[in-house]
Amino acid sequence: MTDAWTLAAAGLAVALLRAATPILFAALGALVSDLAGCVNVALEGLMLIAAFFGVMGAVQAAELWPALPVWGHALIGGGAALLAALALALLLAVFHLEFGADLIVAGIAINLLAAGLTVFLMASWVGDKGSTAALVSPALPSLRLPGLAGWPALDLLLNGEGGRGHPLPLLLAPLAVAAVWLLLQRTPWGRWLRASGENPAAALAAGIAVKRMQYLALLASGVLAGLGGVYLSMGYVTLFQADMSAGRGFLALAAVFLGGRALAGTTAAALLFGASAVLATQLGALAWRPQLPQMLPPAVTLIAMALAGARRARRQGNRAPEISQRL
Amino acid sequence: MSAAPPASRTSRRASLMTLIARAGARIGTLPLSLAAALLAGFGLTALVSDEPLRAWLALLTGPLPELHLGAQGWEARRLVLFGAAIEDAITLALLGLAIALPLRARQFTLGADGQMFLGALAAVATSLALAALPAAIVLPASFLAAMAVGGAWGLLPGWMKLRHGASEIVTSLMLNLIAVQLFRLILSEWMSDPGAGFIATPLLPPAASLGVLIPSTHVSAMLLLVPLLAWAAQAMLDRTSAGYALRAVGQAPDFARRMGLPVARTVMLSTALGGMVAGLAGLHVSHALLGRLPVDLPAGLGYEGLVVALLARNEPRAIPMAALLYAYLRAGGQAMERSTDVPREMVLVIQALIILFVVAERLWPRLAEGLARRRSRRGALPAETVEPAPGAVA
Repeated sequence: MTDAWTLAAAGLAVALLRAATPILFAALGALVSDLAGCVNVALEGLMLIAAFFGVMGAVQAAELWPALPVWGHALIGGGAALLAALALALLLAVFHLEFGADLIVAGIAINLLAAGLTVFLMASWVGDKGSTAALVSPALPSLRLPGLAGWPALDLLLNGEGGRGHPLPLLLAPLAVAAVWLLLQRTPWGRWLRASGENPAAALAAGIAVKRMQYLALLASGVLAGLGGVYLSMGYVTLFQADMSAGRGFLALAAVFLGGRALAGTTAAALLFGASAVLATQLGALAWRPQLPQMLPPAVTLIAMALAGARRARRQGNRAPEISQRL
Repeated sequence: MSAAPPASRTSRRASLMTLIARAGARIGTLPLSLAAALLAGFGLTALVSDEPLRAWLALLTGPLPELHLGAQGWEARRLVLFGAAIEDAITLALLGLAIALPLRARQFTLGADGQMFLGALAAVATSLALAALPAAIVLPASFLAAMAVGGAWGLLPGWMKLRHGASEIVTSLMLNLIAVQLFRLILSEWMSDPGAGFIATPLLPPAASLGVLIPSTHVSAMLLLVPLLAWAAQAMLDRTSAGYALRAVGQAPDFARRMGLPVARTVMLSTALGGMVAGLAGLHVSHALLGRLPVDLPAGLGYEGLVVALLARNEPRAIPMAALLYAYLRAGGQAMERSTDVPREMVLVIQALIILFVVAERLWPRLAEGLARRRSRRGALPAETVEPAPGAVA
């Protein structure tokens, strides 16, 4: 009996990780850029472009170098995906930091650009506007730990369903959390980054290269969102679909606000959003309407923002919130 | 710069440059941005297409109707795409207004999508419930329902900003996600027509019809409403005290507060007004274009409203023209897709580039500065005499 329960719990935990991983990557990107004072609303587009170029890069690599093993093609695809996301993030950063474009508006333009460009290129290269199902594209390599057959629950947790192992990005996600923690807490860049976001003028006066920190933050968010995108199209699912990111980039933005702009809170919020996605599929299997659980993440975010606002107001002695403050 | 040309020539050249710069500042860099975006799009097309020139011709001339001298005088043909452009322009103009009004009070609401969905749903529900009554009752009731629900949904981010200090960008994005799911839930649970063959509301009753202005298209009387609304919004901003407060809150919130203007009420008014207009956009989609609401109504049109508002620089009177320009491009994209191998999503890329170029305030001044510096390096003009473009400091 207990075995069945632990197995079910491990199964749910795996499902939760699977659903939360792309949101977590994007949320880490949102956190890093937000701390540097750049609210990156382009995460959605960055994920999309990475998902697309991952598949196309792997397919191209397979055509160019057929002698390479399949995982080599997949890794080349993954590299192409990260490069594409990085390039798009660079475009956003240059337009915002060099040419004075409003970051929110430019971010929305990047989303539009990614949505249009992926479908445009897919229609031109694959001849299909819906998905790349006509192509055979590889998944990123999976890692599996041998010798866990004696502990079925642990095996399920660490090696996934059927013991096939988890794809690389899923295993990278906890590492990314640790890396962001190290960056923010244990390196001077983390301090400079926060200072640039907290008070750019003071940071500049203190000799911090604010602009360079903001470039760094936006590019880092591009790589992180790119990892999330690669996971979507080269993880468990091995194809690209139009509009594949499906609002995850916006949820990632919400996770940062829900998590109080802290790493632990943001990670917890991303896991919470993953959990509500699992809930949506589980309830869908029970013939429930899937819309209710899908409303959960945004609704929780709104409530949390209201609560945070009420707490802030109490701390400030009921002073009216500043209208002029943007974010 | 040892070999400087004679002083008189230099100053004349410099004053000419200043004059050109000032004239450019007055006209704006909009034509330049449009041309650059179209050119970049053409470059991208040339990379993947065998017939980029033909594709571009189709994009730019596709939506134009053909005029023929027939038996009964002049006749217009090929009206479908032209009509599609006008229909689209109406939706986009309403969405543009919905974004521009809060933006004038510096409220960055991205919630037009959700407001449009729920406004359309409310209008359809009202029309279906009152189907037996005459049009003189059904239509005003549907309009009121769309505006009330859209306005209420638009009020929420403004209220949350004032009550809880919550960023309207995030709240309106979250409200969009909720609204779309709510739309699908209500539609599939309580309003779906079992005989439709797909999940959609029943067809709207004839009493809820808006009429057709151009035959063989869906262009309805809403076409007349759009300039009227744009004019009313402009008059509100320019001539009324509420409009003055709205502009003051947007341009100088501290000044507005010290002047004793009702800042809180104005912020909420701006987002609620935007929501009402977005609700009307929903009514246009359901009543004039589709005749019913399908459960999979595509989301994301609201973001293109932002594009229109930006192109019009948040001036309501310019919004119909900006919307027409975009709608024309979108219809041109359809023509391009039909007659060549270039998919119409190219237009999305061009739209995105237009936004990027339009909002990049320092892009053109910097380019001009760079050009001037290069010329001065060749000895024609010392760098010191070139007036730096405003806002060009790094």
